[in-house]
Formats: sequence, structure tokens, C-alpha cells
Amino acid sequence: MSSVPLSAFLVTALLLFCMGLYGALTKRNAVIVLISIELMLNAVNLNLVAFAKYGVGASIRGQVFSLFTITVAAAEAAVGLAILIALYRNRATVNVDEMNTLKK
Amino acid sequence: MDMDTLLQYQWNSMMPEFTILLTAVALSLIDLFMNKKKDRSLLIWLALAGIAAAIVFLFLQFDDGVVSILNETYRLDSFAKAFKFLMLIGTGFVLLLGVPDESTSVRGEYIYLILTALLGGMMMASSADLITLFVGLELLSLSSYVLVGIRKNNTLANEAAFKYVVNGGIATAITLFGMSYLYGLTGETNIYEIQGLMGSDVVTDNRFLAVFAFLMIVVGLSFKITAAPFHMWAPDVYQGAETPVTAFLSVVSKIAGFAIMLRLLMVPFVFAPGTREVITPDGVNYETLLVSVRPYLVLIAVLTILIGNVIALRQLNAKRLFAYSSIAHAGYLLVPLAALSELVFDAVWFYLTAYLLMNIGAFAVIHVMSAEEEVTVASFAGLFKRSPYLTIAMSIYLLSLAGIPLTAGFIGKFEIFMSALGTEPKRYLLVTAMLMGTVLSYVYYFGFFVQMYFRPSKHQTPVTISNGVTAVLAITVAGTVLLGIFPSVALTFIHDHFQFLEIFNQ
Repeated sequence: MSSVPLSAFLVTALLLFCMGLYGALTKRNAVIVLISIELMLNAVNLNLVAFAKYGVGASIRGQVFSLFTITVAAAEAAVGLAILIALYRNRATVNVDEMNTLKK
Repeated sequence: MDMDTLLQYQWNSMMPEFTILLTAVALSLIDLFMNKKKDRSLLIWLALAGIAAAIVFLFLQFDDGVVSILNETYRLDSFAKAFKFLMLIGTGFVLLLGVPDESTSVRGEYIYLILTALLGGMMMASSADLITLFVGLELLSLSSYVLVGIRKNNTLANEAAFKYVVNGGIATAITLFGMSYLYGLTGETNIYEIQGLMGSDVVTDNRFLAVFAFLMIVVGLSFKITAAPFHMWAPDVYQGAETPVTAFLSVVSKIAGFAIMLRLLMVPFVFAPGTREVITPDGVNYETLLVSVRPYLVLIAVLTILIGNVIALRQLNAKRLFAYSSIAHAGYLLVPLAALSELVFDAVWFYLTAYLLMNIGAFAVIHVMSAEEEVTVASFAGLFKRSPYLTIAMSIYLLSLAGIPLTAGFIGKFEIFMSALGTEPKRYLLVTAMLMGTVLSYVYYFGFFVQMYFRPSKHQTPVTISNGVTAVLAITVAGTVLLGIFPSVALTFIHDHFQFLEIFNQ
């Protein structure tokens, strides 16, 4: 059944992580930025689950860890969106480029 | 796991955490059922009582040995106690800063979110497992995101909070990515188990992956301590948040960051193989990982010191200036770690104590001034004529931050110098960077002196100071001066109660 080697999972996770990082740093829409961060966290989950199944001393711990990661990621997304809504109510924009009123 | 196992645990070792948790829960319930128009300052005093109780419980544990419970995920050792002590004191000061006077009010959420953030920080200080470390880290982060954005109708606060969430999310993801490789290399999440497995053949064959995991964790955690690759959020967030929250972020959150950083970098990686081969009599071996990655740690420390001090030179807004100064201090604190000194824990702990006193004090002064206007360096003009005592307090904090003798900051810097020069070979590069940074910092710290003593003021009335702030100012001034004149008090306290090297024992 396990014809897919561990390295394939790791490379997929690494690509996903890099895509997420690129998106988080370059996208202008604040919602896309938050989604990109979720991509990065999901890359971590993929890593953890792959290691838990095919890694050294494969154990359930990795899956438990990924459950915690998923929960915390959900909480983080909730807080992030709540803050974004507050920002949108006051500024009527979700464009990251326009968030430049600080720095003076 | 049955009931007997659960009851066997030494639950009393978690008493400080339970106290803070219960206080936070009780306060949120009281806030819910309290009349909406009623003043919330009662809640602050209850929270302070909770913190005082937690400090008492912590003192009762001071001379106990290492205790680990909950399947070895929670670990109470000297290192944990020392850092928890600092965090509790720091949070106490922050809450005192928030005590409202006649003209202001305080939100209930502000109080119990500070307590949950503190709880996260305390869990970070005494976790021995990647999962609990991560959960503690996120409890602290999520609470602080909300704290920064708590003034939801203020556009600056919204923007600061959003920047904080995005930066924090990226940093968390990077840390976790590093942790996932750490788990993958060993199949364990307990950092003491990982320490034992780091010498195995699998790790030696994949030692570049171990170095990669190490560097990812360093980069991710540098967010919490505002060090070089991840310092950009600090000025914006410090400026946009309320001043007590800023004080919390710059002190308590940073102490927690150093606690997790020291434990997570030192414990699992201490016996890990590095990249370079060393020929020894019994065959080919590898130098340790910490030695291999030392150049990167030095780079981060030097960059942090220089970036913080150089950009602080041209800041006009006082909170932004102190944000860059706090970045520079994070750089100084990284010096003993980058030097791989044996005294790293003592030096970092003492400097954090000094930093706590002087930085909370400086933010207390900014908090007082911010009642009138957005605080710039020019707002301090003629302060000596208006409020001489406040000016003297601020002068002491500034002297201490600059590292002038007879203040706590000087002794802290001295300890760091000694730790960097006590290693073999001596770390001259780090010491030079730190000296250069210190000299640069004189320029902007002494800029305040020129304003306070020699410039005429726009206002003539004295600054009004609330009782909570007066208490903070009195205690921090006394602490800064006392630790500067009698540092042996704190140093003997460390030696009598904390055996920091306990951190390495299984």
C-alpha cells in the first residue's frame, strides 16, 4: 500500500509551505494573506502526519500534535478575521498596501 | 490512564498556574454578571491579588528539586521558576499601570486577557514537550493579538493588531515547521527524549535536516523576542497598542520568548551532531550542532543590536523609539547565547530582571504623558519644571537603559560582557558590536535629557499621575538603583535558589 515514499510527502509539504510564505509576503488582499498563513500551517500538518506514519519510530504523537496544530490554527484564523472585520469597519478596505498609517 | 495515576501526580507543583487560571476564569464570570456601567477597577485589584498568591506559591516551591508530571510534559525546574517569577512580577506592574483614575476607565477583557497571556507564558517556561510548548506559545500570542486590538474603534490599534496577527502567524508556522522536522528525526515530542535520541544514526545521517530544524526554530522564535529577521512588527505594534499593553509586550512577552528559546534551543540540540567533521582518536566524529550554527546566532545578535540602535536614532515618536531600543536590548540578550557561554542562564536572567524594572518604568512615564497627546520626544520638553520627581525617575530609567554605572542596566551589561569574554576563545566580535550599540544608544537616550532639562515646555501645569503608576514608578526606581548598587543581592539569590543547569538533566 505504501508505494509513496516519505520524501514525496516532505517535498509536497515544503512546496506548500513555500507557496504559503510567498503568498503571505506578496498578496495585497488581507484575506488571501490569512489563507496563505493557513497553507503554511497545513504544510506542517502534512509533515507531522507523514512522519507519524512513515518516519523514524513512527508513533501516534505526530497525529496528536497535528490535532493541536489544527485547533490552534482555527483559533488564530478566528482572531485574525475578527481583527480584519474591525479594521474593515473603520477603514473600509482590506488592501494591505493601504495599511500604512502607522510609522509617523 | 486511570484515576489513581491522575491523583498520584504532584499537582501542587502547578499551583501558580492554577491560581492564575482560576483568577482569569473568575474575573471573566464576574465581568459577565457585573452591572455594565459599574467601574471595573475592582477586577484589577482581584487580578493583582491572584498574582500575589501565585508569587507566594512559587516562593514555597523555590527549594524543591525537579518535578515533572503529566507524562513528563510539565516540568518544574529552577529555570522555569526563575522565569515565571519575572513574568509574574512584570504582569503585576502592567496591571498596576492600568488602574484607572477619575477620568479614565478600564475594560474587563483587558484584565483577564493579560492573565491568560501570562498563563501561556508560564506554560512556555515550564513545558518539556513540543506540544505543550506550542500551546503555551499560542495562548500567549492569541491573547496579545486581542490585547493590541482591544480599542476596536481606533484605526491605529486595528492596523497594529492586524500586522501583529500576520507576522505572528507566519512566525508560528515557521517555528512549527522546524518542530515537525525535530519530531520527524526522532519520533518523539518530549524534548528530553529528543535530547537522548539526537546522537542516533538517523540523526547523524540527516544532520543537515537537524541544522535546518534548528534554524527554522530560531527564526520563528525571534518573532517573540523581536530579534533580527522578525523585528519589523515591533515599532508598529508598540505604537498602535495602548501603553500598558506595549509594556506587557516589551517585557513579559519577551521574557517568555527567551524562556522558550533557551529551553528549546539548548535542551534538544545540546548533544546533536553538527555539520563539520572532526577527526578524533576513535574515528571520524562531528562537532556539536550548537558549534556549527554559532555563526548564524552571532549574525542574528549583531544585526539585532545594530538595527535596533541605528534606526532608533531617527525616531521622533517615543513609543517607536522605545520599540527600537527594545530590539537592541534583545540583541544584547542574545550575546551570551551566541557566545555559547556557560553563564548564559545567569546573564540572561539578571539582564531580564534589570530590563523589566527599567523598561516598565520608562513605559509608565510614557503612559502618564500619553494622557495629553501622542507622545513624541519633544513632548518631554521642560518636564523638569513641570514634574521634577517624574523627570528624576525617567532619568534613572534612561541611565539604566544606557548602561551607566550605579544602575541595574550597567551590572546586567557587565554580566553579559563577562559571559562573552569568559568563553574560549573570547568573543570579541560580539563584545565590539555590543559596545558600538551601547555608544550609539547614548545619542537617543541623552536626547531625552536635553528635552527634559534644557528645553522650554509648551504646558505649564504639572503632569497628573494616578496612584497605580506612582507605585510602579517608586518600586522600579528603587529596584533599578538597588540592583545597581548592591547587585550581589540578586546574584546570591540566583546562586542560593536556582541551579540553572538542572535544565539539562533528564
